[in-house]
Amino acid sequence: MLTFSRNKLVSIYRKDDHTLCARGILEDDIYGMEMDVTVTLSGMEISAVRGKWIRMENSECPRALPFLQEAVGFCVTEPDFAQKVQKTVGRKSCRHFANILLECCEAAREAAALIDTGPAAGDTVSSPVDASSAVPPKAPAHREQKPQVKNPAKRSSREGLIIDLHVHTSEASPCSSAPLKDLVEEAKRIGLDGICLTDHNHVWDAATVAVLREKHDFLILRGNEISTDQGDMLVFGFDADIQGIIQLPDLKEQVVKSGGFIIAAHPFRGFLTFGIGQLGLTPEKAMARPLFQHVDAVEVLNSKVSEKENRFSSQVAEGLHLPQTGGSDAHEVEEVGIYATRFFDTITDEGEFLTALKQGDYKPVAFRKTMT
Amino acid sequence: MADILCFSRNNATTVEQLTEEIMVSSCRLQDTLTDLLVEIHVKTPDLEITKIRGEIRRAQEPEDPHLHDTLQKVIGVRVGPGIKKIVRGLMGDSETEKKMVFMIGECCNGIILSFTKQVLSSAPKEKEKERDFFAAMVKNSPRLYNSCAALSADSPLMEGVDPP
Repeated sequence: MLTFSRNKLVSIYRKDDHTLCARGILEDDIYGMEMDVTVTLSGMEISAVRGKWIRMENSECPRALPFLQEAVGFCVTEPDFAQKVQKTVGRKSCRHFANILLECCEAAREAAALIDTGPAAGDTVSSPVDASSAVPPKAPAHREQKPQVKNPAKRSSREGLIIDLHVHTSEASPCSSAPLKDLVEEAKRIGLDGICLTDHNHVWDAATVAVLREKHDFLILRGNEISTDQGDMLVFGFDADIQGIIQLPDLKEQVVKSGGFIIAAHPFRGFLTFGIGQLGLTPEKAMARPLFQHVDAVEVLNSKVSEKENRFSSQVAEGLHLPQTGGSDAHEVEEVGIYATRFFDTITDEGEFLTALKQGDYKPVAFRKTMT
Repeated sequence: MADILCFSRNNATTVEQLTEEIMVSSCRLQDTLTDLLVEIHVKTPDLEITKIRGEIRRAQEPEDPHLHDTLQKVIGVRVGPGIKKIVRGLMGDSETEKKMVFMIGECCNGIILSFTKQVLSSAPKEKEKERDFFAAMVKNSPRLYNSCAALSADSPLMEGVDPP
């Protein structure tokens, strides 16, 4: 028996020499919607969008319609077109309207190639901004030095050091809107002892971070959130620049060689509308997941997942006798320190940080919650 | 001049409960240029992709003899947040592969929506109860907050819900 079906129909016709009209219809078990999109043939830009609900999830879904206009002016042949639609239409309006809009525009792109007017399919328009110039310098491919942290632990070892192990900066993660400087100021203000920069597939240059540490007189450590076939991994003490998706066993092999450490990031980050419980997943079944054979610790407090998912991660880590960590996964300044990890060792440099991670003498803490 | 269509596309995704533990999701894309099929088997409760097959019935690009092997790379990947990025990273970037990546995404989306449908089937229509229902849903899953216009901070459905 079918449990779900979704049908999408897109038709394209040429309104005049300069314009393509796309009409999209989406019908599935939950949603019914229609969309009309006009695309200019000369620049392949969206010149008009109109949407209509037929069936919807709740009474407030019509609020999505005005935000469709944010797509006007987008060029459908730009390499990051889909991402832009998902970020603007998908988040501000509705992800299902974003879905049918992408379908309409992809069909328009193919139609334009058939018509052979304006940019052909596959042609790309260069972005006027060189995105790479906005990204902070990456570490050289081979790096031997272990940078020293100038400012040692300020608390006594009995109180422990509180470090947020999972922070994203706007300088190196496109999804973050938190500038490093503001993150550090906020971390100092709320009383954190340090933060780890764990931008997505980004290796911070050790010398750059050393300068930042000096400048801010604050413990700033380097990490990397690497995407693998089995989810995101927080990796420390590993300077290889991994791009794209790497198989977790391959990553593990490389990290072991470099003497690094892997933490499974938000391993049970679930779905928006239903929980892992609905799927019948138990901690015992989850412990058998292959990913846990390749990690050194588990992030059990992360602010981007539900409390249930954090509890579940903790149960699994406990069952597997794996160390547990906490990190905010901050993408906004005010999120830094929501969760963190309390270390009972003195940490003054990346070497000591790695040693502390491997010794396992730490625990996750809900830092901001305990402040209030 | 009649407004004759210069391009048309049908994209159909279906999800079937094959056995108690196996769900099958398939996506068929047919348009003026292309006719492709992708089918994945997903095992519960982990929602792990255990089997995949693809079929090219009509395409403009030359047939890729390695397509079957390329598709097998996604076996073991779990349907869940971030899967589209993972699949995109594991597959190649020829035009056909890009379409296949999109269709695998559609299959995964179908699986997720089949569970979402179960949750929404109990959503009340009456205003106040509806607000309570969605407020509880957002409290349970903080990432839903501000994830779309209906669940944005200024939506009546979010009245009384604190930002996560």
